[in-house]
Parts: sequence; C-alpha cells; structure tokens
Amino acid sequence: MNWWCAAQDTAWSWTWQPYAGVWLMVVVLLGARFLLARVWSTAADSNEPGRPLLYVVGVFILWTAADWPIGPLGAGYLLSVHTVQYILFAFVAPPLLIAGTPKWLWRRLIQPDWAFKTAWTLTRPLVAFLFFNVVLLATHLPSVVDGLTASQLGSFAVDMSWLGAGIVFWWPILGPLPELKPMPYPGRIVYLIANVFIPTVPAAFLTYARYPIYALYELAPPINNLTAVEDQQIAGMIMKIVGGFIVFGIASVLFFKWASHEERAETEQA
Amino acid sequence: MANKRSNTMMKPFGRLSITSMIAVIGAAACIPDAPPRPDELRGTSYPAPLEKPDFSLIRTNGDTFDFRAETDGFVTLLFFGYTHCPDVCPIHMANIAAVLRNLPPDVSRAVKVVMVSTDPDRDTPDRFGPWLAQFDPSFVGLIGPIEEVNAIQSRLQLPPASKYGDDPGSYTVGHSARVIAFTADNRAHVSYPFGTRQNDWAHDLPLLVKAEWETR
Repeated sequence: MNWWCAAQDTAWSWTWQPYAGVWLMVVVLLGARFLLARVWSTAADSNEPGRPLLYVVGVFILWTAADWPIGPLGAGYLLSVHTVQYILFAFVAPPLLIAGTPKWLWRRLIQPDWAFKTAWTLTRPLVAFLFFNVVLLATHLPSVVDGLTASQLGSFAVDMSWLGAGIVFWWPILGPLPELKPMPYPGRIVYLIANVFIPTVPAAFLTYARYPIYALYELAPPINNLTAVEDQQIAGMIMKIVGGFIVFGIASVLFFKWASHEERAETEQA
Repeated sequence: MANKRSNTMMKPFGRLSITSMIAVIGAAACIPDAPPRPDELRGTSYPAPLEKPDFSLIRTNGDTFDFRAETDGFVTLLFFGYTHCPDVCPIHMANIAAVLRNLPPDVSRAVKVVMVSTDPDRDTPDRFGPWLAQFDPSFVGLIGPIEEVNAIQSRLQLPPASKYGDDPGSYTVGHSARVIAFTADNRAHVSYPFGTRQNDWAHDLPLLVKAEWETR
C-alpha cells in the first residue's frame, strides 16, 4: 500500500487504491482541531466554539485533493489535475481551516514566544505575499515538478508546501486575531488583487508553450486522447481563471463587508 | 564637386557588392548543411551507422510496402510496437506527431514515420490503422508474421518481441522502446530511446532533414 500519491510508470486504472498517509493527514487534522478544543478549552472559551463545519469542509477538501483519484491523477498523469490540486490546497482549503478554527485555539497555538514571533513575521502582508509567491513559483519549476512528484515524499512535500503557503497567504485577509494586527479592508483588497498577477507568469508559460514543459506529464501513460500540450493549456487556464475567480470573488466579498462596515460606522456617528 | 564625383563612382561598385552579397547569401542558403556531429544530436548515436533494412510487409490498407524503396530520400523514423501498449508506443507516436505538426512543412514533409507491429495477432488492419491515424494519418503501419518482424529487428540490433502472460486478450508484449532514425543516405546514425521529449525531436529532426548525407 502506498502512503502518498506519486508518479507511477504504469497505465492509469480506475481501480481504487488506498493511500494511508492521506487518511493519517485527515485524522491528524480533525484530531488536532477537536481534541485540542476539548483539552484546552476553558469555560470562557466554550462561548466561542468557532465554526467547526467550515473546518470539516476544509479537511474534506484536502482529503479530496490528496486521495484517489485526484491525488494519483495529479501526481503522475495529468498536469491539469495537478493544478486543480494546487488550487484546492492553496486557495480553497486554507480559508476554510482558518475560519473554522476558534480564536482562542489560535491564541493557544501561538502562545509560546517563538510561535508568536514566527506568526507575527509570517503574517506581515509583504512577507506573506513574498512567501506564497516564492512557493508558487518554486513548486512549478520543471526541475522541482519532475524531480519531486516522482517520489511519495517529494509529492507530499509539494502538497504540504502549498497548504502551508496557502495558510500564510490567506492569514492577512481572514486572520481573526487582532494581536497580529490585521490589515484594514482596503489593504486586504489591494493585497488580494496584487496577487492575481504573479500566477499569470506560470499560467502564461503553461498556456502558450509550444512543447510540454514537464517531462513527467509528457512521458506519462496517456489518458483518453488528451495530448500533453492540451493538458498543459487546460492547466494554465485553470491556474489563471479558477485561481483568479476565487481571488476576485473573495475581494468582492471584502469590498461589500468594507462598505457595510463604513455604513455602520457612519450610522453610529450620526 | 569632388564629393559628388566620388559618390557617382561609388554607386555602380555599391550595387555590384550588394548584388554579389545577395548571390553569396542565396548560394549559401541553398547549400545543404554538413551532417551533424553526434554531440549535436540529442538521440543516441551509433558507433557505426546501421544499413536501412530491405523488407516488404503489408500496410494497414492492404498494400505491400517496400520499406527501402518507399522511404528512399526521406528521414524515416522506424519503430516496433503494438497498439495494446499502455505507455511507450502511444507516447512515442503522440510526441513525434505533435512535433511534426509544429515543424516547418519543408521539414515535416521530409519525414516518414513507420511503425511495425510486434503483436500481429491482435493488431489487425482494422485496429492498427485507426490507432495510428489518431496520431497522424500519414503514419505508416506495417503488419507481418512475428518471425519476420523479429528477423528485421535482429538485423537492426534490437531484441526480439516476446509475449508476457497467457490470457489471449490481455497479454503484454516486451519490445524495444527505441525509435531508429534513417537519414537520406539510407543509414541510421542515431536512435531515440523512450524518454525522448518533444523538444528533443524538434531539435534533431531539422538537423537530420537538412544535412547533406552521402547518398548511396
């Protein structure tokens, strides 16, 4: 039994395969959230249960992205599915995990001095922006994709780097802790919109390259009649259009929240 | 005045030099390139070139195909494989077809792709023809008795094809994953193993087509 999805040199089969590491990740994430909530919570904390359903949905998204069939298809056969995994790991699951964890639990997690300092540094908007985009660009380099995705450990490292970078990226927008000095609404919107442009670079390479960029997907056993270049073009469009749709969607929500916040402030002043 | 005169005198000379230069450039453009050195190609060079084999097999449309005669003067990519192959065969065919679609017509028209079936029991003309045509309708599929196919492979220093598995419907066939490139001199100077990428084909095919090979 494999523990994490990696590229294989066998033809794709629609026969289900178990991946023990993926289940372990699900158990650890759920256990950490709900067990720690039970062990660490005080009477005061129980007033703020967080939004456990959002957290569970976030873990479910991660499970879907990492397990069969999306996991092995993305790790070894189709770049377009690999890009769907990237979107799920970096753009969809992190906001749900952040929003689904109660404030008091975050506070406990960053209680040690070193943890607070690390969280403070990583959640500065410029640092978070750079961190996320360096991870994005590095994990899409041909040498990294071809080199790491071929092994279970490498594939796991890429998936977890997307999740970690996603949490860091989304924190300045959705982070609930005032002590980490969240940005005002206009700053959050600018931060989000600025991030639409960086993924354009790898997306453009994928969409307009004449020949396949990654050996892994070019030399993978074919699925249906999709050519390697067509698969690559679909991947580029997913990265640009779906990623952009999510970012602009959340930027729009922030804009309306900002407008209603301003309206409330004006009403209170009046 | 002196300037005007010297300008007038220079004009015919200038015209002559430009005309000569154009002629020289034109002549240079018509001269075929020297054969590429082994280190200029991305394929694996043979220490001694292989002679193009002389054989005739049946095409998927039922015609007889005289390999040596019908590929004479072309760069010919010869591959031995089978249509039930899950990986190497469709990947090679798809990559070569994709590159030929992107290369300039003067290069792509000078390349012929021939695939010989190593599984004649299952690769019937009705199956083999459409399978190859999905990559490129110009690809030539050849079918013949496996003993004859193995004899041709042996002449090309390739291992014989061998069946693995007893189930008549789902056995696999072990075969060489190498594409042999014959050039216009009817010899193969280079071959391409599995793992050859589209970029590699796009790099080598123009060199193989445009070089002046000593024809025999």
